[in-house]
Amino acid sequence: MNNAPSSPFLSDTPAPASADAVDDVLAMELVDRLTWFVRLRWGAALSLALGSLLGPIIGLPRVWPDLAVLSVVLVAYNLFCQRRLRRRAAPDARDLRVSALLQIALDLMALLVVVHCTGDLASPLLPFFGFHMAIGTILVSTEWMYMAAGLISLTAFSLQVAGVWSIPTLAPAVAAVPATDVVSALALLAFVGFLFGIVYLTGSVSDRLKQRNQELREASKALEDRSVELQRLLGELADLERRKSHYMRISAHQLRSPLGTVRTSLDVLTSGLVDLASPRGQRLMRGAAERVDGLLLIVNGLLDLAKVREGRLRAPWTRDVNLNQLIADILDALTPYSDERGVKVETDFAGRAVLEWGVPPDLVHAFENLIHNAIKYSFPDGTVTVRLAVQGESAIVHVEDRGIGVPDAFREQLFLEFVRAPNARSHAPVGTGLGLALVREVAANHGGKATFEGGLGPGATFRVELPLHRTPPELGQALQTGDAVGYPRDTAPHT
Amino acid sequence: MSRKTVLVVDDDPIFVEAISAVLETRYEVRTASNGPSALQSVAEQQPDIVILDVMMDYPSEGFDVARALHGDPATTAIPVVMLTGVDQVYNYRMETDETWVPCARFLEKPITPDQLLTQVAELIG
Repeated sequence: MNNAPSSPFLSDTPAPASADAVDDVLAMELVDRLTWFVRLRWGAALSLALGSLLGPIIGLPRVWPDLAVLSVVLVAYNLFCQRRLRRRAAPDARDLRVSALLQIALDLMALLVVVHCTGDLASPLLPFFGFHMAIGTILVSTEWMYMAAGLISLTAFSLQVAGVWSIPTLAPAVAAVPATDVVSALALLAFVGFLFGIVYLTGSVSDRLKQRNQELREASKALEDRSVELQRLLGELADLERRKSHYMRISAHQLRSPLGTVRTSLDVLTSGLVDLASPRGQRLMRGAAERVDGLLLIVNGLLDLAKVREGRLRAPWTRDVNLNQLIADILDALTPYSDERGVKVETDFAGRAVLEWGVPPDLVHAFENLIHNAIKYSFPDGTVTVRLAVQGESAIVHVEDRGIGVPDAFREQLFLEFVRAPNARSHAPVGTGLGLALVREVAANHGGKATFEGGLGPGATFRVELPLHRTPPELGQALQTGDAVGYPRDTAPHT
Repeated sequence: MSRKTVLVVDDDPIFVEAISAVLETRYEVRTASNGPSALQSVAEQQPDIVILDVMMDYPSEGFDVARALHGDPATTAIPVVMLTGVDQVYNYRMETDETWVPCARFLEKPITPDQLLTQVAELIG
């Protein structure tokens, strides 16, 4: 009869969510075990055929026709099972489990007939019931096998009531016991107890193994997920490191270029090639001094940017930051500069924008940069307009000018460090290209964003959107958003 | 015998002024502040050597000028010296698609007057 090694994979373990791979493994195992079923059934059919032939010889004359018929039936349905198994293209765990259940049920029915033919409750093949129950419990389901045990018990009871099922002569010691109804009932009870006991014992061990297996599978899945996450984080870290290094190179270059000019100018002056008092000597001296001023500007800009970045966690977050007031104060402070440039600054404040939390010094720095830029890149007699509005849960600030504008090629990279368009450099030679990077950084720190909106015709419009309700970033969030800053890959600065 | 001509291309006017002062001791010096004006200057009158900055109006402008000069049969023989504040490896890495830059020398700023004169003299005498 059937046999198969026990394996927790073959159980009715609930499939974990999105565990196609696990189902595949289960299906493959089931195919393996069903193949074993078929092979063992060939052995059983052969044994039955031999039994039917040898029955008359060994003194079992009445069983041979039954066994012969059963053997033929077994061969027939085993052929069916084998063909079905071979034809199966893509094994499906659920389908295979139903198949295993059906096969075990058929095997049990066949066994019932064989047992009946070979002595009913005294049949030497009776233990095979236990064998089947154990295999079924492991491979299919404990619940299903309890049902099978119930059905067999019911059948045996019916057979006994019908007088077909005979009472065994169990042993010489009890041979004298008359075959009363009580004895019959006790014998049947023992058989039923045997069936249920086997299912219970096997089920308890198997269920525990299944549970352990499930736990192991989940732990393994969790470990795999962690590993993937770790790989991702390592990749991000490497990327961050690479960008940091790139950024440092860019920064170093920005310092090195003017330093080179200063050094060469000084070399020319000290070598006597140019007289210091000559007009050219004076130009070189002034130029060198301007480059030094430029270097100081860059260093200060870099320090400001670093301060904003590093201060993300310990910045002086303040409650109820009134943007209207903050921007009005900036405009007051910039009035001498706009007057000097002959630029008119207009405001259009629609509504009152109060940030629940904000870092006032950073916000002042950012808006000052934006408005200062707008004045700086305006033509004399130009106008700069600062609009403030509240839209939904956000404060929107627009800074518009009608100045030199931004060439299309530079719009994408405008917020990157050291990026200055050629027209910006020719219009205002002094500048670091760090101001807009700081604006972007501060907006991001406040959970918002800074964008360039361009516009029709000349001029530039910058838009800063800040959520009104934003709690200061916590450590985890801060680290996550930290990736939003820094120099993007393979983007060269503009010098 | 007329003096040889050097075309200095750099967007930093003070640097141009400084190295012009050095080169003028031996050569005729012309200047340009970006790629198009450099190519125009070459087209008007060919110099004997071109000293080129890399990053001008855009990051690889100097490379493009060098390639344009090399690609034109009329100017391909003019030696080009790249003189830049960016180190060599970094620039080559950035230009992953066209790493090759047709230049006779790749020099880094700052450069002393003696070094500059020596390098130019080696190329055009």
